[in-house]
Amino acid sequence: MLTTRSFIGSGTLHVSIIVAASIAWPHTFEFPDDPTPVVPVELVTNVADETNIAPTIEKPPEPETPPPPPVQAQAPEPPPPPAEVAPTEPEKKPPPPPKEETKVATAPPPPPMPRRKPKPEPQQQFSVDSVLALLDKRTPPKPPAPKEQAPIAERTVQGIGDRNALTVDVKDALLAQMRECWNVPVGAPNPEQLIVQVRVFLAQDGSLAQPPQLEPQTRTAAAANPYMRTAAEAALRAVNVCEPYRQLPVAKYDAWREIVMTFDPSKMVR
Amino acid sequence: MPNTILSCIWQRRLRPLFIALAVFSASPMPAQAALQIRVDEGVTQPIPIAIPDFLASPQGRDIAGVVRADLERSGLFRSLNQQSFIEKIADINVPPRFGDWRTIQAQGLVTGQAAMQPDGRLRVDFRLWDIFGELQMVGLQYTTTPENWRRIAHLVSDAIYERITGEKGYFDTRIVFIAETGPKLQRRKRLAVMDQDGANPVFLTQGDYLVLTPRFNPTAQMIAYMSYIQDKPRVYLFDLETGRQEVLGNFPNMTFSPRFSPDGKSVVMALENNGNSDIYVMDLATRTSRRLTNDPGIDTAPSFSPDGKQITFESNRGGSQQVYVMNADGSNVHRISFGAGKNGTPVWSPRGDLIAFTKISDTFHVGVMRPDGSGERMLTSGWQDEGPTWAPNGRVIMFTRTLEARGNSQGGSQVWSIDITGKNERRVLSPGDASDPAWSPLIQ
Repeated sequence: MLTTRSFIGSGTLHVSIIVAASIAWPHTFEFPDDPTPVVPVELVTNVADETNIAPTIEKPPEPETPPPPPVQAQAPEPPPPPAEVAPTEPEKKPPPPPKEETKVATAPPPPPMPRRKPKPEPQQQFSVDSVLALLDKRTPPKPPAPKEQAPIAERTVQGIGDRNALTVDVKDALLAQMRECWNVPVGAPNPEQLIVQVRVFLAQDGSLAQPPQLEPQTRTAAAANPYMRTAAEAALRAVNVCEPYRQLPVAKYDAWREIVMTFDPSKMVR
Repeated sequence: MPNTILSCIWQRRLRPLFIALAVFSASPMPAQAALQIRVDEGVTQPIPIAIPDFLASPQGRDIAGVVRADLERSGLFRSLNQQSFIEKIADINVPPRFGDWRTIQAQGLVTGQAAMQPDGRLRVDFRLWDIFGELQMVGLQYTTTPENWRRIAHLVSDAIYERITGEKGYFDTRIVFIAETGPKLQRRKRLAVMDQDGANPVFLTQGDYLVLTPRFNPTAQMIAYMSYIQDKPRVYLFDLETGRQEVLGNFPNMTFSPRFSPDGKSVVMALENNGNSDIYVMDLATRTSRRLTNDPGIDTAPSFSPDGKQITFESNRGGSQQVYVMNADGSNVHRISFGAGKNGTPVWSPRGDLIAFTKISDTFHVGVMRPDGSGERMLTSGWQDEGPTWAPNGRVIMFTRTLEARGNSQGGSQVWSIDITGKNERRVLSPGDASDPAWSPLIQ
């Protein structure tokens, strides 16, 4: 009897456990879809001694004295007469006059050419506008600010070969500048073949350390083909027009002190 | 034995390697190589050039003005305002202050003087300076009668253009064209000639007879054109030096669309016979003609290649008006235009690299393509743009632009020019309406 009751009790308990388990089990392994959000925690050190300080706004001090009354316009004193200055230019001997030809066609000999002088420091040029500005009593307009050259960010670019970290920024800066200065000779026959190489030497301040030079193969081709000569001269003009090259990072001067620029018009004439 | 093997390996393999490494490490490091960059984009804009008035005589100012206008009209130069000049040129035999010209952004400088000689002739000297290179690029001297001062100015322009662009100039040239005057229903068409800048227009015929399709001889101041004298449409020759005219050949039927060979010794033209037209070539010395095409289609508008070995022409033999090329003896005829619409009036460039033509599709275009038919480009678009003619340097094209009569606009014909790059489209000044221009060679 006892055994029978025991069996019934045990069976009842087992059944109840199985029923309970069958209801509860499927929900046991349900995980929320959203993972626990990661809460960013900023570790703050050096907390100020005082926090939550009410902001204070300081009013600018009242001017103690009223502004001066407007001054009546007066004619400026005339500038002193220019002092006589001895001519600084050396005497230049005129070349012999060109030979007379009927109808045309002689090339008069070029006058003696002074050697190219180093570029003088920029000086303030006398201009009529500046004198007129003195006479003008209106508020002078501000001179246009010089174009800011965007500094090149120091990057941690790694690379090898031609496009390495040392030169990638320099190249981008140079190309951006040259695109604005190179007047492409697109009207020549087969312009895509007029590829010119120029060697450029730059000083640390971005100026040309010496006149740009055509590479030997370009010089040879330019001597034989007038279209090539035109293309070469256009490239030289571009290098000159673009001077100075101020966007280049001084820290990488060794990378850009000597540059070989290849001017390739094929993309422009497709 | 092992020692022997090790020794052998050391001797043969490792020692040379170590020596090479030692030598390499001991040698000085090579100098920093030049940075290489490839510039493949640029701009196409006019070159700024400074042209002060020429010195010494009133003609000096006029000559400089014509030079400035010539170079600006080419679209390749921008003449700087004289007010901006810092240096005033006082002597063309002294080098200019290059820094002053760099300051005003000049890339070239032209200095010159014009002076009357004791014998009554005008002498003009000029020099072209490279501002960056600080050297003279070209210097020339011309002497002529004073009334020829415009030609001298054009010659100066040609010399500057040639030195800077590398190709011959085209300023000392003339345009022959059909001048149109009078009411629409009673149009008077006269053969006329003028300088390429529109100066010195002269009427060559009185307008009593209809004249069409004038064409310049590339080697002489001679024109071939078609006229309906006594209601007979014939090709005539007009000698500009002597004013003499003559009919070209004694053909029983209509001859039209003449064009000279590059050597000027023969004329290729179309001859109509019973509603069909074919292409013939006539030797000017012997006046003998030879038939080049023999096809039931209409063949017309022939034009020689500059080497004289090929001829391009238009034909409808394939069902629609298209451009064809054949050898100068009439062999190897093949079609080169396959684009949409009709294509006609082909003209071979004097440079040989392109053929200009008229395209008729939804609208009219003047375009260019290579002699094999590739690289087709439309340069202009208009209600009726047609009839291209090449500058002798193959760089610029003139064409007829007919305007639609609409509203208050009466329409009419004008001569326009365009660079082969498709830029610098300009109207060519002419007295009244003008059509069918033909560009002369450089005046000898």
